[in-house]
Amino acid sequence: MSDEVKEFVFKIVVLGDAAVGKTSLINQYIERSFEEDYKPTLGANIIRKDVFVEEINASVRLIMWDLAGQEKYNVIRSMYFQGCVGALLVYDVTRYNTFETINSKWLKDFKKYVKKEGTYILIGNKIDLTAQRMVSTEDGINFAKKINASDYIETSAKSGENAEKAFENLVHQILKLQGQIK
Amino acid sequence: MPEREMIGDYKGEVKNNVVTALFQAYMDVLDYDGLKSILKEAELLDLKNSKGIDPDESLDFFSFKKIITAQNCLLYNCSDLLFEIGKKFSFYLFPFGKKFEDIIEEINVLIRTDWNIQILEKTKKSITVRVEKCFFCSEIGISCDLIMGFLLHSIEKTLPPDTRVDYHRNKEDIKDPNHNTFVVKFNSKKK
Repeated sequence: MSDEVKEFVFKIVVLGDAAVGKTSLINQYIERSFEEDYKPTLGANIIRKDVFVEEINASVRLIMWDLAGQEKYNVIRSMYFQGCVGALLVYDVTRYNTFETINSKWLKDFKKYVKKEGTYILIGNKIDLTAQRMVSTEDGINFAKKINASDYIETSAKSGENAEKAFENLVHQILKLQGQIK
Repeated sequence: MPEREMIGDYKGEVKNNVVTALFQAYMDVLDYDGLKSILKEAELLDLKNSKGIDPDESLDFFSFKKIITAQNCLLYNCSDLLFEIGKKFSFYLFPFGKKFEDIIEEINVLIRTDWNIQILEKTKKSITVRVEKCFFCSEIGISCDLIMGFLLHSIEKTLPPDTRVDYHRNKEDIKDPNHNTFVVKFNSKKK
């Protein structure tokens, strides 16, 4: 294998209804922290993280766009998707309506505005709230297959469970789509 | 702001009203969290509450360039957004009714560093502009969309509302370290 480190920049979006835990998921990934207070994202929260993929000796700059779940930002939303190569589609396992809007809204937006071929992973968040759970793991897996998501991952932004896995898996899938990983 | 010793290419200063206009453009296009993201990436989060800053004072160019670098990093592959930010930047910095010639003269004074914008030729239907060492896109791999949006809107707002402006320039090679020096021709026509 060549010693030369390959460099990539990937822009991804994190999509889903308001309060499903998109920002918290990113915070867990970046800072390994969780805030109990809910502060809605206004517009776009944009974060950079540099990761190293040992398997192919590559440095990946990940630019994460955490988009507001509220409707009022629809006017400029199409521009936020420009250059995007992947998405995490996040729903809250305790609120069934957030599961339904993945297909009716968020995936639709992603397919409409992302010009290049992109890859996406379905995320069922808030699995720590076991007693309030409304969407089963089986429903999540089946739905991921139905919408051709490249994976389905259950996460808890509160405990940090699988937060890192979600983003690293997406990077892996993008590299795979681009023919960098078999 | 006290005088600071500056190094190399980052000498100069930027009037605070330029900083405020740019932040307002970020707010319009990316909203509060977008502005915060850029300032956080630039490690200048303290500037977030810029509303109270004195417009006659200045920010050192090094800090301003850190904001632009952070913007270019986070808005990777976002030419449409950068173009839109450029338009809004012009909208907030210069009021309607100001002549394009005055805008160009003023922007060179408001942002004092090693760069220059000049009008090469002006006819009834076109304006040719030379941009030299544009710091908005001085990094390799970053296209000049912000300054193009700025210039286009600065021309547009001096014309009647039924006029459309488009531009022509040689194909930009963003891998060329000198791509931030270029000539662009703006043409206006009735809609």
